[in-house]
Amino acid sequence: MSEVLPLVFNDPDMCSRIAALDEGALDGLDFGVIGFDAETVVRLYNSFESRNAGLSPKRVVGFPLFTAVAPCMNNYMVAQRFEDAATTGVGLDATIDYVLTLRMRPVKVKLRLLAEPGLAMRYVLVNRPS
Amino acid sequence: MRDQAAILADEHEALIQFLYLAPVGLAQTSMEGDIVLINPISAQLLMPLSRDGTLANLFTALEGVAPDLRHRVSAFAASSGMVCDGLRIRLSAGERGKSAPQTLSLSLLKLDETRLMAVLNDISLQVQQERLLKKNEAWFNAILTGISDYALMSLDSSGRIDEWNASISRVTGFSRDDVLGQPFSIFYPDGAMTADRLLDRMNEADDDGWTVDEGWRVKADGTRFWGSAMIAPLREQAAPGTDPALSVGVEDSAYCLIVRDITDKREASEARRKDLSCDFLTGIANRRTFFEAAELELERRKRSPREISLILFDIDHFKHVNDTYGHPAGDAVLCHLANLLTFTFRQVDVVARFGGEEFAILLPSTNLQSAAGVADRLRRAVESKPVTTDGVSISYTLSGGVAAMDDSMVGLDALIQHADRALYAAKAAGRNRIECWSAEIQPGSIINPAGRRRS
Repeated sequence: MSEVLPLVFNDPDMCSRIAALDEGALDGLDFGVIGFDAETVVRLYNSFESRNAGLSPKRVVGFPLFTAVAPCMNNYMVAQRFEDAATTGVGLDATIDYVLTLRMRPVKVKLRLLAEPGLAMRYVLVNRPS
Repeated sequence: MRDQAAILADEHEALIQFLYLAPVGLAQTSMEGDIVLINPISAQLLMPLSRDGTLANLFTALEGVAPDLRHRVSAFAASSGMVCDGLRIRLSAGERGKSAPQTLSLSLLKLDETRLMAVLNDISLQVQQERLLKKNEAWFNAILTGISDYALMSLDSSGRIDEWNASISRVTGFSRDDVLGQPFSIFYPDGAMTADRLLDRMNEADDDGWTVDEGWRVKADGTRFWGSAMIAPLREQAAPGTDPALSVGVEDSAYCLIVRDITDKREASEARRKDLSCDFLTGIANRRTFFEAAELELERRKRSPREISLILFDIDHFKHVNDTYGHPAGDAVLCHLANLLTFTFRQVDVVARFGGEEFAILLPSTNLQSAAGVADRLRRAVESKPVTTDGVSISYTLSGGVAAMDDSMVGLDALIQHADRALYAAKAAGRNRIECWSAEIQPGSIINPAGRRRS
Protein backbone atom coordinates (compact mmCIF):
# COMPACT_ATOMS: atom_id res chain seq x y z
CA MET A 1 0.00 0.00 0.00
CA SER A 2 1.56 3.25 -1.06
CA GLU A 3 1.43 6.20 1.31
CA VAL A 4 -0.25 9.22 -0.31
CA LEU A 5 0.63 12.70 0.90
CA PRO A 6 -2.36 14.39 2.58
CA LEU A 7 -4.02 17.20 0.68
CA VAL A 8 -3.15 20.76 1.59
CA PHE A 9 -5.53 23.73 1.39
CA ASN A 10 -4.18 25.27 -1.80
CA ASP A 11 -3.50 22.15 -3.85
CA PRO A 12 -4.53 22.51 -7.49
CA ASP A 13 -7.36 20.55 -9.06
CA MET A 14 -9.08 20.32 -5.70
CA CYS A 15 -12.62 19.33 -6.76
CA SER A 16 -11.62 15.96 -8.15
CA ARG A 17 -9.06 15.30 -5.41
CA ILE A 18 -11.65 15.78 -2.71
CA ALA A 19 -14.21 13.72 -4.60
CA ALA A 20 -11.68 10.86 -4.56
CA LEU A 21 -11.30 10.83 -0.76
CA ASP A 22 -13.22 8.55 1.57
CA GLU A 23 -14.72 9.70 4.84
CA GLY A 24 -11.67 8.75 6.89
CA ALA A 25 -9.30 10.67 4.65
CA LEU A 26 -11.55 13.72 4.69
CA ASP A 27 -11.66 13.66 8.46
CA GLY A 28 -7.87 13.51 8.53
CA LEU A 29 -7.47 16.85 6.73
CA ASP A 30 -6.28 19.87 8.67
CA PHE A 31 -8.74 22.21 7.02
CA GLY A 32 -12.52 22.30 6.86
CA VAL A 33 -14.46 20.78 3.97
CA ILE A 34 -18.13 21.45 3.35
CA GLY A 35 -19.55 19.74 0.29
CA PHE A 36 -22.99 20.62 -1.03
CA ASP A 37 -25.06 19.50 -3.98
CA ALA A 38 -26.80 21.32 -6.83
CA GLU A 39 -29.69 22.22 -4.50
CA THR A 40 -27.17 23.64 -1.96
CA VAL A 41 -27.96 20.80 0.46
CA VAL A 42 -24.93 19.84 2.57
CA ARG A 43 -23.72 16.30 1.78
CA LEU A 44 -20.29 16.38 3.31
CA TYR A 45 -19.01 17.94 6.53
CA ASN A 46 -15.60 16.83 7.73
CA SER A 47 -14.52 16.56 11.31
CA PHE A 48 -12.15 19.55 11.21
CA GLU A 49 -15.08 21.80 10.34
CA SER A 50 -17.35 20.02 12.80
CA ARG A 51 -14.89 20.55 15.67
CA ASN A 52 -14.36 24.23 14.91
CA ALA A 53 -18.01 25.09 14.46
CA GLY A 54 -19.08 22.97 17.43
CA LEU A 55 -21.72 21.15 15.38
CA SER A 56 -21.85 17.43 14.71
CA PRO A 57 -22.47 16.32 11.11
CA LYS A 58 -25.93 14.98 11.98
CA ARG A 59 -27.10 18.56 12.62
CA VAL A 60 -25.73 19.77 9.31
CA VAL A 61 -25.76 17.08 6.63
CA GLY A 62 -29.03 17.11 4.70
CA PHE A 63 -29.76 20.79 5.37
CA PRO A 64 -29.43 23.71 2.94
CA LEU A 65 -26.01 25.34 3.37
CA PHE A 66 -26.78 29.03 3.00
CA THR A 67 -29.94 29.19 5.05
CA ALA A 68 -29.69 26.43 7.65
CA VAL A 69 -25.97 25.79 8.12
CA ALA A 70 -23.80 28.79 7.26
CA PRO A 71 -26.06 31.84 6.82
CA CYS A 72 -22.98 34.02 7.27
CA MET A 73 -22.00 33.09 3.71
CA ASN A 74 -25.35 34.01 2.21
CA ASN A 75 -24.27 37.22 0.47
CA TYR A 76 -22.64 38.34 -2.75
CA MET A 77 -19.19 37.45 -1.48
CA VAL A 78 -19.89 33.71 -1.28
CA ALA A 79 -23.39 32.43 -2.13
CA GLN A 80 -23.77 34.75 -5.10
CA ARG A 81 -20.51 33.49 -6.60
CA PHE A 82 -21.70 29.89 -6.53
CA GLU A 83 -25.01 30.99 -7.99
CA ASP A 84 -23.28 32.95 -10.76
CA ALA A 85 -20.97 30.03 -11.52
CA ALA A 86 -23.96 27.67 -11.79
CA THR A 87 -25.87 30.10 -14.04
CA THR A 88 -23.00 30.75 -16.41
CA GLY A 89 -21.65 27.19 -16.37
CA VAL A 90 -18.13 28.42 -15.63
CA GLY A 91 -15.85 26.80 -13.06
CA LEU A 92 -15.15 28.54 -9.75
CA ASP A 93 -11.90 28.33 -7.81
CA ALA A 94 -11.41 31.43 -5.71
CA THR A 95 -9.75 31.97 -2.35
CA ILE A 96 -11.05 34.90 -0.30
CA ASP A 97 -10.40 36.36 3.11
CA TYR A 98 -13.44 36.04 5.29
CA VAL A 99 -14.59 36.08 8.88
CA LEU A 100 -16.57 33.16 10.27
CA THR A 101 -18.40 33.31 13.55
CA LEU A 102 -17.24 30.00 14.97
CA ARG A 103 -18.92 29.45 18.34
CA MET A 104 -19.91 33.14 18.13
CA ARG A 105 -16.30 34.34 18.00
CA PRO A 106 -15.20 36.25 14.91
CA VAL A 107 -12.42 34.18 13.34
CA LYS A 108 -10.41 35.29 10.31
CA VAL A 109 -10.22 32.49 7.76
CA LYS A 110 -9.47 31.86 4.15
CA LEU A 111 -12.33 30.37 2.19
CA ARG A 112 -11.74 28.49 -1.01
CA LEU A 113 -14.83 28.33 -3.20
CA LEU A 114 -14.86 25.42 -5.62
CA ALA A 115 -17.31 24.46 -8.35
CA GLU A 116 -16.78 22.69 -11.63
CA PRO A 117 -19.24 22.57 -14.49
CA GLY A 118 -20.69 19.10 -14.81
CA LEU A 119 -19.96 18.18 -11.19
CA ALA A 120 -22.98 18.21 -8.89
CA MET A 121 -20.90 18.56 -5.72
CA ARG A 122 -19.48 21.95 -4.85
CA TYR A 123 -17.18 22.75 -1.95
CA VAL A 124 -16.27 25.44 0.51
CA LEU A 125 -12.87 24.83 2.10
CA VAL A 126 -12.05 26.63 5.33
CA ASN A 127 -8.50 27.35 6.35
CA ARG A 128 -7.92 28.68 9.85
CA PRO A 129 -4.60 30.37 10.40
CA SER A 130 -3.05 28.53 13.32
CA MET B 1 -22.15 11.19 35.33
CA ARG B 2 -21.23 10.45 31.73
CA ASP B 3 -24.88 10.68 30.82
CA GLN B 4 -25.14 14.13 32.36
CA ALA B 5 -22.05 15.33 30.51
CA ALA B 6 -23.49 13.99 27.28
CA ILE B 7 -26.80 15.73 27.90
CA LEU B 8 -24.99 18.97 28.67
CA ALA B 9 -22.89 18.67 25.52
CA ASP B 10 -25.99 18.00 23.47
CA GLU B 11 -27.78 21.01 24.94
CA HIS B 12 -24.74 23.15 24.34
CA GLU B 13 -24.65 22.11 20.71
CA ALA B 14 -28.34 22.82 20.28
CA LEU B 15 -27.83 26.25 21.82
CA ILE B 16 -24.93 27.00 19.49
CA GLN B 17 -26.99 25.97 16.51
CA PHE B 18 -29.90 28.08 17.74
CA LEU B 19 -27.61 31.12 17.66
CA TYR B 20 -26.10 30.10 14.32
CA LEU B 21 -29.51 29.96 12.72
CA ALA B 22 -31.27 32.89 14.39
CA PRO B 23 -32.53 34.89 11.40
CA VAL B 24 -31.33 38.16 12.90
CA GLY B 25 -27.85 39.57 13.50
CA LEU B 26 -26.68 39.54 17.11
CA ALA B 27 -23.42 40.82 18.52
CA GLN B 28 -22.01 41.72 21.88
CA THR B 29 -19.34 44.39 21.98
CA SER B 30 -17.37 46.56 24.36
CA MET B 31 -18.35 50.22 24.73
CA GLU B 32 -15.71 50.93 22.08
CA GLY B 33 -17.41 48.52 19.68
CA ASP B 34 -14.90 45.68 19.93
CA ILE B 35 -16.75 42.51 19.05
CA VAL B 36 -16.74 39.80 21.71
CA LEU B 37 -19.54 37.55 20.47
CA ILE B 38 -21.20 37.57 17.08
CA ASN B 39 -23.56 35.29 15.17
CA PRO B 40 -23.53 34.34 11.47
CA ILE B 41 -26.28 36.66 10.20
CA SER B 42 -24.24 39.57 11.56
CA ALA B 43 -21.31 38.34 9.49
CA GLN B 44 -23.52 37.92 6.44
CA LEU B 45 -24.70 41.55 6.73
CA LEU B 46 -21.47 43.16 7.91
CA MET B 47 -18.78 41.48 5.83
CA PRO B 48 -19.77 43.21 2.57
CA LEU B 49 -19.54 46.56 4.42
CA SER B 50 -16.35 46.02 6.37
CA ARG B 51 -13.60 48.25 5.03
CA ASP B 52 -10.77 46.39 6.70
CA GLY B 53 -12.11 42.91 5.93
CA THR B 54 -12.39 41.98 9.61
CA LEU B 55 -15.14 41.90 12.17
CA ALA B 56 -12.96 43.02 15.04
CA ASN B 57 -14.98 46.17 15.72
CA LEU B 58 -18.66 46.85 15.02
CA PHE B 59 -18.29 50.63 14.69
CA THR B 60 -15.39 50.21 12.26
CA ALA B 61 -17.34 47.68 10.20
CA LEU B 62 -20.23 50.17 9.92
CA GLU B 63 -18.07 53.32 9.63
CA GLY B 64 -18.76 53.74 5.92
CA VAL B 65 -22.54 53.73 6.28
CA ALA B 66 -23.21 54.85 9.88
CA PRO B 67 -20.33 57.08 10.95
CA ASP B 68 -22.02 58.44 14.07
CA LEU B 69 -22.37 55.24 16.14
CA ARG B 70 -19.42 56.00 18.42
CA HIS B 71 -20.95 59.37 19.21
CA ARG B 72 -24.34 57.94 19.89
CA VAL B 73 -22.83 55.51 22.36
CA SER B 74 -20.54 57.99 24.10
CA ALA B 75 -23.34 60.57 24.30
CA PHE B 76 -25.63 58.06 25.99
CA ALA B 77 -25.33 58.99 29.65
CA ALA B 78 -27.52 56.41 31.41
CA SER B 79 -25.76 53.34 32.77
CA SER B 80 -27.98 51.03 30.76
CA GLY B 81 -30.76 51.22 28.19
CA MET B 82 -31.47 51.54 24.46
CA VAL B 83 -28.87 53.72 22.75
CA CYS B 84 -30.75 53.43 19.48
CA ASP B 85 -33.81 51.40 18.63
CA GLY B 86 -34.27 50.32 15.04
CA LEU B 87 -31.92 52.95 13.64
CA ARG B 88 -32.13 52.72 9.86
CA ILE B 89 -28.90 52.45 7.96
CA ARG B 90 -29.08 53.01 4.27
CA LEU B 91 -26.65 51.04 2.11
CA SER B 92 -26.05 51.67 -1.54
CA ALA B 93 -28.50 50.71 -4.23
CA GLY B 94 -26.85 47.29 -4.28
CA GLU B 95 -25.18 46.93 -7.65
CA ARG B 96 -22.98 44.02 -6.59
CA GLY B 97 -25.66 41.40 -6.27
CA LYS B 98 -29.31 41.43 -7.01
CA SER B 99 -30.14 40.26 -3.53
CA ALA B 100 -27.92 42.70 -1.67
CA PRO B 101 -29.81 44.43 1.15
CA GLN B 102 -30.51 48.15 0.87
CA THR B 103 -31.54 49.08 4.38
CA LEU B 104 -30.35 47.65 7.68
CA SER B 105 -31.93 48.28 11.03
CA LEU B 106 -29.64 48.51 14.03
CA SER B 107 -30.55 48.51 17.70
CA LEU B 108 -27.92 49.07 20.35
CA LEU B 109 -28.69 48.13 23.94
CA LYS B 110 -26.30 49.23 26.65
CA LEU B 111 -26.25 46.33 29.11
CA ASP B 112 -23.94 48.00 31.63
CA GLU B 113 -20.86 50.23 31.61
CA THR B 114 -18.81 47.70 29.65
CA ARG B 115 -21.11 45.81 27.32
CA LEU B 116 -23.30 46.64 24.34
CA MET B 117 -25.70 44.28 22.63
CA ALA B 118 -26.37 44.92 18.94
CA VAL B 119 -29.27 43.61 16.87
CA LEU B 120 -29.01 43.88 13.08
CA ASN B 121 -31.75 43.21 10.58
CA ASP B 122 -32.16 43.44 6.82
CA ILE B 123 -35.37 45.47 6.48
CA SER B 124 -35.19 46.39 2.78
CA LEU B 125 -38.59 44.93 1.99
CA GLN B 126 -40.38 46.52 4.93
CA VAL B 127 -38.97 49.91 3.99
CA GLN B 128 -40.46 49.67 0.52
CA GLN B 129 -43.87 48.88 1.95
CA GLU B 130 -43.60 51.63 4.52
CA ARG B 131 -42.97 54.26 1.90
CA LEU B 132 -46.44 53.65 0.54
CA LEU B 133 -47.96 53.79 4.00
CA LYS B 134 -46.10 56.98 4.81
CA LYS B 135 -47.67 58.72 1.84
CA ASN B 136 -51.10 57.70 3.01
CA GLU B 137 -50.35 58.99 6.49
CA ALA B 138 -49.24 62.35 5.12
CA TRP B 139 -52.51 62.58 3.29
CA PHE B 140 -54.55 61.94 6.42
CA ASN B 141 -52.45 64.48 8.31
CA ALA B 142 -53.07 67.03 5.63
CA ILE B 143 -56.82 66.76 5.69
CA LEU B 144 -57.76 65.58 9.16
CA THR B 145 -55.56 67.16 11.82
CA GLY B 146 -56.69 70.30 13.64
CA ILE B 147 -56.95 72.92 10.97
CA SER B 148 -56.42 76.44 12.28
CA ASP B 149 -56.70 78.05 8.91
CA TYR B 150 -56.06 77.30 5.29
CA ALA B 151 -55.73 79.06 1.98
CA LEU B 152 -57.50 77.44 -0.92
CA MET B 153 -56.61 78.39 -4.46
CA SER B 154 -56.70 76.99 -7.95
CA LEU B 155 -53.74 76.59 -10.26
CA ASP B 156 -53.55 76.38 -14.01
CA SER B 157 -51.79 73.47 -15.65
CA SER B 158 -48.39 75.13 -15.35
CA GLY B 159 -48.77 75.84 -11.65
CA ARG B 160 -49.81 79.49 -11.80
CA ILE B 161 -52.44 80.80 -9.42
CA ASP B 162 -55.45 81.66 -11.55
CA GLU B 163 -58.19 82.61 -9.11
CA TRP B 164 -58.32 84.89 -6.13
CA ASN B 165 -60.11 84.45 -2.82
CA ALA B 166 -59.80 86.01 0.61
CA SER B 167 -58.35 82.90 2.30
CA ILE B 168 -55.07 83.46 0.44
CA SER B 169 -54.56 86.84 2.05
CA ARG B 170 -55.70 85.56 5.46
CA VAL B 171 -53.01 82.86 5.61
CA THR B 172 -50.19 84.33 3.52
CA GLY B 173 -50.73 88.11 3.57
CA PHE B 174 -50.36 88.33 -0.20
CA SER B 175 -52.78 90.54 -2.13
CA ARG B 176 -54.72 89.71 -5.25
CA ASP B 177 -52.19 91.48 -7.47
CA ASP B 178 -49.28 89.72 -5.77
CA VAL B 179 -50.47 86.24 -6.58
CA LEU B 180 -52.61 86.16 -9.71
CA GLY B 181 -50.65 84.66 -12.59
CA GLN B 182 -47.69 83.82 -10.32
CA PRO B 183 -46.39 80.28 -9.88
CA PHE B 184 -47.17 78.80 -6.46
CA SER B 185 -43.45 78.85 -5.66
CA ILE B 186 -43.97 82.40 -4.38
CA PHE B 187 -44.99 80.79 -1.08
CA TYR B 188 -41.62 79.02 -0.81
CA PRO B 189 -38.43 80.61 0.54
CA ASP B 190 -35.54 81.28 -1.87
CA GLY B 191 -33.81 78.09 -2.89
CA ALA B 192 -36.59 75.82 -1.71
CA MET B 193 -38.32 75.33 -5.07
CA THR B 194 -37.18 75.01 -8.65
CA ALA B 195 -39.20 75.23 -11.86
CA ASP B 196 -38.68 71.50 -12.38
CA ARG B 197 -39.77 70.65 -8.85
CA LEU B 198 -42.91 72.73 -9.31
CA LEU B 199 -43.90 70.61 -12.30
CA ASP B 200 -42.89 67.43 -10.45
CA ARG B 201 -45.41 68.19 -7.75
CA MET B 202 -48.20 68.46 -10.28
CA ASN B 203 -47.09 65.33 -12.11
CA GLU B 204 -47.11 63.46 -8.81
CA ALA B 205 -50.60 64.77 -8.10
CA ASP B 206 -51.69 63.43 -11.51
CA ASP B 207 -50.18 60.03 -10.80
CA ASP B 208 -51.34 59.57 -7.23
CA GLY B 209 -54.47 61.72 -7.06
CA TRP B 210 -52.78 64.16 -4.65
CA THR B 211 -49.41 65.21 -3.29
CA VAL B 212 -48.45 66.87 -0.05
CA ASP B 213 -45.28 68.39 1.34
CA GLU B 214 -44.34 70.09 4.59
CA GLY B 215 -41.74 72.76 5.24
CA TRP B 216 -41.01 76.44 5.69
CA ARG B 217 -43.21 78.79 3.69
CA VAL B 218 -43.07 82.59 3.43
CA LYS B 219 -45.68 85.27 3.85
CA ALA B 220 -45.84 88.52 1.91
CA ASP B 221 -43.89 90.36 4.63
CA GLY B 222 -41.05 87.82 4.44
CA THR B 223 -41.84 86.07 7.71
CA ARG B 224 -41.84 82.28 7.68
CA PHE B 225 -44.39 79.78 8.84
CA TRP B 226 -44.35 75.97 8.88
CA GLY B 227 -46.84 74.91 6.28
CA SER B 228 -48.23 71.94 4.49
CA ALA B 229 -49.18 72.24 0.85
CA MET B 230 -51.49 69.73 -0.76
CA ILE B 231 -52.12 69.68 -4.49
CA ALA B 232 -54.89 67.69 -6.15
CA PRO B 233 -55.89 67.61 -9.81
CA LEU B 234 -59.34 69.06 -10.48
CA ARG B 235 -60.16 67.13 -13.59
CA GLU B 236 -59.24 64.08 -15.58
CA GLN B 237 -55.88 64.48 -17.22
CA ALA B 238 -55.38 64.93 -20.93
CA ALA B 239 -54.23 61.84 -22.77
CA PRO B 240 -50.65 60.85 -21.95
CA GLY B 241 -48.17 62.54 -24.24
CA THR B 242 -50.22 65.70 -24.67
CA ASP B 243 -48.10 68.72 -23.86
CA PRO B 244 -49.79 70.42 -20.89
CA ALA B 245 -48.24 73.74 -21.92
CA LEU B 246 -50.44 73.78 -25.00
CA SER B 247 -53.55 74.09 -22.90
CA VAL B 248 -52.39 77.05 -20.80
CA GLY B 249 -54.97 79.77 -20.69
CA VAL B 250 -57.43 77.72 -22.65
CA GLU B 251 -58.51 75.20 -20.08
CA ASP B 252 -60.14 75.87 -16.76
CA SER B 253 -58.20 75.53 -13.53
CA ALA B 254 -56.25 72.30 -13.48
CA TYR B 255 -55.28 71.85 -9.82
CA CYS B 256 -56.39 72.88 -6.41
CA LEU B 257 -53.77 73.91 -3.86
CA ILE B 258 -54.42 74.00 -0.13
CA VAL B 259 -51.81 75.76 1.98
CA ARG B 260 -52.12 75.33 5.74
CA ASP B 261 -50.24 76.94 8.57
CA ILE B 262 -49.29 74.02 10.86
CA THR B 263 -46.64 75.84 12.88
CA ASP B 264 -48.10 74.40 16.09
CA LYS B 265 -47.42 70.87 14.91
CA ARG B 266 -43.96 71.66 13.64
CA GLU B 267 -41.92 71.02 16.75
CA ALA B 268 -43.12 67.47 17.21
CA SER B 269 -42.89 66.50 13.58
CA GLU B 270 -39.52 68.20 13.11
CA ALA B 271 -38.03 66.43 16.12
CA ARG B 272 -39.22 63.09 14.86
CA ARG B 273 -38.01 63.80 11.37
CA LYS B 274 -34.59 64.92 12.62
CA ASP B 275 -34.13 61.83 14.74
CA LEU B 276 -34.79 59.53 11.80
CA SER B 277 -33.21 61.42 8.98
CA CYS B 278 -30.29 63.42 10.34
CA ASP B 279 -26.73 62.64 11.24
CA PHE B 280 -26.37 62.62 15.00
CA LEU B 281 -23.20 64.74 15.17
CA THR B 282 -23.63 67.33 12.45
CA GLY B 283 -27.40 67.63 12.25
CA ILE B 284 -27.44 67.48 8.46
CA ALA B 285 -29.14 64.71 6.48
CA ASN B 286 -27.79 61.18 6.88
CA ARG B 287 -27.09 58.61 4.17
CA ARG B 288 -30.56 57.20 4.32
CA THR B 289 -32.20 60.56 3.67
CA PHE B 290 -29.74 61.22 0.89
CA PHE B 291 -30.53 57.97 -0.92
CA GLU B 292 -34.27 58.47 -0.57
CA ALA B 293 -34.12 62.01 -1.91
CA ALA B 294 -31.67 61.16 -4.68
CA GLU B 295 -33.66 58.17 -5.89
CA LEU B 296 -36.83 60.25 -5.94
CA GLU B 297 -35.07 62.94 -7.98
CA LEU B 298 -33.79 60.34 -10.47
CA GLU B 299 -37.32 58.97 -10.80
CA ARG B 300 -38.55 62.47 -11.59
CA ARG B 301 -35.81 62.85 -14.14
CA LYS B 302 -37.04 59.75 -15.97
CA ARG B 303 -40.38 61.39 -16.38
CA SER B 304 -39.22 64.87 -17.28
CA PRO B 305 -35.54 65.05 -18.14
CA ARG B 306 -33.48 67.69 -16.38
CA GLU B 307 -29.99 68.30 -15.08
CA ILE B 308 -28.95 66.65 -11.83
CA SER B 309 -25.51 67.05 -10.36
CA LEU B 310 -23.75 65.41 -7.46
CA ILE B 311 -20.79 66.67 -5.46
CA LEU B 312 -18.77 64.47 -3.12
CA PHE B 313 -16.52 66.30 -0.67
CA ASP B 314 -13.85 64.69 1.43
CA ILE B 315 -11.84 66.52 4.09
CA ASP B 316 -8.12 66.35 3.28
CA HIS B 317 -5.94 64.53 5.81
CA PHE B 318 -8.76 64.30 8.30
CA LYS B 319 -6.96 61.56 10.20
CA HIS B 320 -4.14 64.05 10.75
CA VAL B 321 -6.60 66.51 12.35
CA ASN B 322 -7.83 63.80 14.70
CA ASP B 323 -4.33 62.60 15.52
CA THR B 324 -2.95 66.10 16.11
CA TYR B 325 -5.81 67.86 17.90
CA GLY B 326 -7.88 64.95 19.20
CA HIS B 327 -11.30 63.59 18.28
CA PRO B 328 -13.34 66.47 19.80
CA ALA B 329 -11.47 68.83 17.46
CA GLY B 330 -12.19 66.47 14.57
CA ASP B 331 -15.86 66.64 15.50
CA ALA B 332 -15.70 70.44 15.57
CA VAL B 333 -14.26 70.41 12.04
CA LEU B 334 -17.08 68.12 10.84
CA CYS B 335 -19.72 70.41 12.39
CA HIS B 336 -18.03 73.51 11.00
CA LEU B 337 -18.07 72.04 7.51
CA ALA B 338 -21.69 70.92 7.90
CA ASN B 339 -22.63 74.53 8.77
CA LEU B 340 -20.75 75.93 5.80
CA LEU B 341 -22.46 73.40 3.52
CA THR B 342 -25.91 74.29 4.84
CA PHE B 343 -25.13 77.96 4.39
CA THR B 344 -23.68 77.58 0.88
CA PHE B 345 -26.19 75.30 -0.77
CA ARG B 346 -29.86 75.91 -1.55
CA GLN B 347 -32.66 74.46 0.48
CA VAL B 348 -33.68 72.31 -2.47
CA ASP B 349 -30.21 70.72 -2.51
CA VAL B 350 -29.71 67.63 -0.39
CA VAL B 351 -26.69 68.09 1.89
CA ALA B 352 -25.75 64.86 3.65
CA ARG B 353 -22.98 63.27 5.67
CA PHE B 354 -22.11 60.32 3.51
CA GLY B 355 -19.39 58.57 5.47
CA GLY B 356 -16.82 59.40 8.15
CA GLU B 357 -15.44 62.64 6.68
CA GLU B 358 -17.24 62.46 3.38
CA PHE B 359 -20.19 64.64 2.41
CA ALA B 360 -22.56 64.37 -0.54
CA ILE B 361 -24.65 67.12 -2.08
CA LEU B 362 -27.31 66.43 -4.67
CA LEU B 363 -28.22 69.47 -6.76
CA PRO B 364 -31.52 69.16 -8.62
CA SER B 365 -31.90 71.11 -11.86
CA THR B 366 -28.22 72.06 -11.88
CA ASN B 367 -25.66 71.34 -14.57
CA LEU B 368 -22.08 70.21 -14.11
CA GLN B 369 -20.57 73.66 -14.56
CA SER B 370 -22.81 75.38 -12.03
CA ALA B 371 -22.27 72.57 -9.55
CA ALA B 372 -18.51 72.80 -10.01
CA GLY B 373 -18.74 76.57 -9.49
CA VAL B 374 -20.51 76.34 -6.18
CA ALA B 375 -18.28 73.44 -5.12
CA ASP B 376 -15.24 75.59 -5.68
CA ARG B 377 -16.85 78.49 -3.81
CA LEU B 378 -17.25 76.19 -0.84
CA ARG B 379 -13.69 74.91 -1.17
CA ARG B 380 -12.39 78.48 -1.02
CA ALA B 381 -14.60 79.30 1.95
CA VAL B 382 -13.22 76.31 3.84
CA GLU B 383 -9.66 77.23 2.96
CA SER B 384 -10.08 80.79 4.22
CA LYS B 385 -12.03 80.08 7.42
CA PRO B 386 -10.14 78.13 10.06
CA VAL B 387 -12.16 76.49 12.83
CA THR B 388 -11.54 77.69 16.35
CA THR B 389 -12.15 75.11 19.03
CA ASP B 390 -10.91 75.28 22.60
CA GLY B 391 -8.85 78.32 21.71
CA VAL B 392 -6.98 76.46 18.97
CA SER B 393 -7.32 77.54 15.36
CA ILE B 394 -7.40 74.62 12.92
CA SER B 395 -7.01 75.15 9.20
CA TYR B 396 -8.17 72.43 6.90
CA THR B 397 -8.96 71.93 3.25
CA LEU B 398 -11.18 69.65 1.26
CA SER B 399 -11.29 68.00 -2.12
CA GLY B 400 -14.39 67.58 -4.23
CA GLY B 401 -15.57 65.48 -7.15
CA VAL B 402 -18.46 66.63 -9.32
CA ALA B 403 -20.55 64.60 -11.74
CA ALA B 404 -23.78 65.15 -13.64
CA MET B 405 -26.37 62.57 -14.60
CA ASP B 406 -26.66 61.72 -18.27
CA ASP B 407 -28.68 59.22 -20.26
CA SER B 408 -25.79 56.79 -20.68
CA MET B 409 -25.79 56.18 -16.93
CA VAL B 410 -28.04 53.73 -15.18
CA GLY B 411 -29.06 54.54 -11.65
CA LEU B 412 -27.75 56.41 -8.68
CA ASP B 413 -24.74 54.17 -8.19
CA ALA B 414 -23.35 55.22 -11.56
CA LEU B 415 -23.65 58.89 -10.63
CA ILE B 416 -21.99 58.28 -7.27
CA GLN B 417 -19.25 56.32 -8.99
CA HIS B 418 -18.51 59.17 -11.39
CA ALA B 419 -18.36 61.74 -8.59
CA ASP B 420 -16.20 59.36 -6.59
CA ARG B 421 -13.73 58.97 -9.43
CA ALA B 422 -13.57 62.74 -9.86
CA LEU B 423 -12.95 63.08 -6.13
CA TYR B 424 -10.20 60.51 -6.35
CA ALA B 425 -8.65 62.48 -9.20
CA ALA B 426 -8.80 65.66 -7.08
CA LYS B 427 -7.01 63.82 -4.27
CA ALA B 428 -4.42 62.41 -6.66
CA ALA B 429 -3.77 65.87 -8.14
CA GLY B 430 -2.70 67.25 -4.79
CA ARG B 431 -5.92 67.85 -2.79
CA ASN B 432 -7.65 71.17 -1.96
CA ARG B 433 -9.23 71.18 -5.42
CA ILE B 434 -12.39 70.31 -7.29
CA GLU B 435 -12.44 67.94 -10.24
CA CYS B 436 -15.29 67.17 -12.60
CA TRP B 437 -15.89 63.71 -13.91
CA SER B 438 -14.90 63.09 -17.51
CA ALA B 439 -14.38 59.94 -19.51
CA GLU B 440 -10.61 60.48 -19.30
CA ILE B 441 -10.57 59.91 -15.57
CA GLN B 442 -9.35 56.40 -15.14
CA PRO B 443 -11.08 54.10 -12.71
CA GLY B 444 -8.22 54.34 -10.25
CA SER B 445 -10.11 54.01 -7.00
CA ILE B 446 -11.49 50.78 -5.75
CA ILE B 447 -15.17 51.29 -5.52
CA ASN B 448 -17.26 49.35 -3.13
CA PRO B 449 -20.68 50.92 -3.20
CA ALA B 450 -21.45 50.15 0.41
CA GLY B 451 -18.45 51.00 2.47
CA ARG B 452 -15.59 52.78 0.88
CA ARG B 453 -11.91 53.52 1.22
CA ARG B 454 -9.55 56.47 1.01
CA SER B 455 -8.00 58.81 3.55
